[in-house]
Amino acid sequence: VIPYLVNGLGLGAVYAFIALGYTMVYGIIQLINFAHGEFVMVGAFAGWFVLATLDLDALALPQPLPILVSFFVALLAASLAAGTLAVVVERLAYRPVRKAGRIAALLTAVGVSLLLQNLAIRLGGAAPRAYPEPRVFHEVDALPAVAPANLYVVARDDATDDAEPALVVREGQPIDQAARERMRTTGEGRPYHVQSLPREAKQGFVLLALAVWAPVLWFLVKRTRMGKAMRAVSQDMSAAALMGIPIDRVVAATFFLGGVVGGVGGVAYCATYGSVDPLMGFLPGLKAFVAAVLGGIGSIPGAILGGLLLGVIESVVPYLLREAGWHDAFAWKDVVAFALLIVVLLVRPWGLLGRPIREKV
Amino acid sequence: MATAGPLLAIALSGEQLWWANVLVLTSVYALFALSLNLTNGHGGMFSLGLHGFAAIGGYAAAWLTVATLGSLPGPLLFLLSLGFAMVVAAVGGAVIGIPCLRLRGDYLAIATLGFGEIVRKAIENTPVHALGGSLGYHVPRAMIDPSDSRSDFRLLFVGIGAALVLLVATVLRNAVRSSRGRAMLAVAQDETAASLLGVDPARPKITAFLIGAALAGLGGALAAHFEGRVAPADFSLMLTVKVFLIVVFGGLGSISGCVLAAFVLVAAEQLLTRTGGAVAEWKEVLYALLLILLMIFRPRGILGGREVHEAVRDAWRGLRRRPA
Repeated sequence: VIPYLVNGLGLGAVYAFIALGYTMVYGIIQLINFAHGEFVMVGAFAGWFVLATLDLDALALPQPLPILVSFFVALLAASLAAGTLAVVVERLAYRPVRKAGRIAALLTAVGVSLLLQNLAIRLGGAAPRAYPEPRVFHEVDALPAVAPANLYVVARDDATDDAEPALVVREGQPIDQAARERMRTTGEGRPYHVQSLPREAKQGFVLLALAVWAPVLWFLVKRTRMGKAMRAVSQDMSAAALMGIPIDRVVAATFFLGGVVGGVGGVAYCATYGSVDPLMGFLPGLKAFVAAVLGGIGSIPGAILGGLLLGVIESVVPYLLREAGWHDAFAWKDVVAFALLIVVLLVRPWGLLGRPIREKV
Repeated sequence: MATAGPLLAIALSGEQLWWANVLVLTSVYALFALSLNLTNGHGGMFSLGLHGFAAIGGYAAAWLTVATLGSLPGPLLFLLSLGFAMVVAAVGGAVIGIPCLRLRGDYLAIATLGFGEIVRKAIENTPVHALGGSLGYHVPRAMIDPSDSRSDFRLLFVGIGAALVLLVATVLRNAVRSSRGRAMLAVAQDETAASLLGVDPARPKITAFLIGAALAGLGGALAAHFEGRVAPADFSLMLTVKVFLIVVFGGLGSISGCVLAAFVLVAAEQLLTRTGGAVAEWKEVLYALLLILLMIFRPRGILGGREVHEAVRDAWRGLRRRPA
């Protein structure tokens, strides 16, 4: 169970990052921002662009530094791209329909989601691209007889590109003559060991990032002027407006913050699973929405709790079912997630940490 | 089978074939639009599960056709499979609808959306030898001898589709005007007020939801028979969005608007596809953009929620009133 639990927590942390954007936007204008998954996708692509073009190895920094710096820059770019996009979309598409009712708003959001998906397909193609993994490059002069770990042999020029490695020698396999031969032929420069981080390590980083972001968000929402304004608007928009709170600016700030956190989620998701494509935002977005509902939509701790919980459920439940003798249980994990959504909506629509709303006549 | 006799003898030119195709697709989308218009327009419920019900209907019709092919006369089997599709889709509607209809607004939308995704994923996960899995499932021709040329069955389907749409639209128009229909409209407008007036809000909502599910199933079944194939990919959320676009374009709550908008948008899409080139490649982008612009500038549809004849009458009056 333990590996599945860890895997689930890592996936859940990604859901939590994405769910935060849903929950903040819903909390403030009661809109299910269907396009949020696409903000995440655009963020992931921005990160991909940075990782694929930034060549820090040229600076000859000590080893773990280039990868840390490039991922930091990638996260920054992803956050800014997703946040800016969220603000632009809010201004151009959501604000004009804010008073037109919820169906109009939700349909607009669905339209924005499709627009961004198809725009990305048209501009960059639908095929998934390999996401530059957090890998560590070691220059080697001589190779051992047996691979000490999974060994990716790439030519120097390929090392910073997202191209597939020229040769992979699995851990414990002998590095035979063919491998050595191949290296000489592909290696216009020198051969490199490329050590790929194990998935657990990547997921550990994602959890760490969540642990960093959670208090930051808490601080922003509870301890700043803008956060106070956000809470006021989410309680009662017209009363907040009467108190002189600039509603439009507060809503825009909320979208920006949601996009920023979503961009982090996008890079985390793609770096963990190794690819990015224009439709990548849809399913995690939908799942993250499930997570937001599970935790109580509108509640920030709820989004984090719901995300982690959903990740664990999605990973552990199929595992248990498989152990119980159902062989293709993992193919049904999405069904498990959506069934959970329906059950939560029926039994406890305000979620784990939300508060029930009474309808007044 | 000499079912449709002389009709089948007509050979169609390429241009006519294209139009036949457009007309059949129009009737499929018109059925979907009427379903969505009933639940979301007249019924006031926000459901995004149409693609799930369409999938259930399409697969039910396909399964019944495969299971009973040869043991029944073709036309009977065809009609039976349509009826079966409606019943199974309505059962699906009951499974999700009865517990979920007490959910408010967008929560219902999300629950039905989740249902649609569950249906699609479940079909994808079926073993290949049962329902074809993600590859899709072949639907044998029930109505005509397979050795007949493809053009003939299309013409037959034009007639069947038009008849179905006309029938459904008429029944719906009368149903909405009946006392139960008015109860439904009242509930849709204000549930609390309607229940204070003595209307039980649950019954009309459930009825409308089930009929809507059955109609979506009917559309799915018609499409399955026409295409000769069903696949889970055909029943994605994109289908529901397209139908929503049609309904909103025609005006939520307008029955004739649904049919007209189905024709306009299907013909436009097919034209774009036929023209090819850059515009066709940007088709999906245009679709999405159109939906957004429609919601911003004409949220009540091109006709503003009126029936076509009302819109025409109003336009005519407007013209006459203007001094020459």
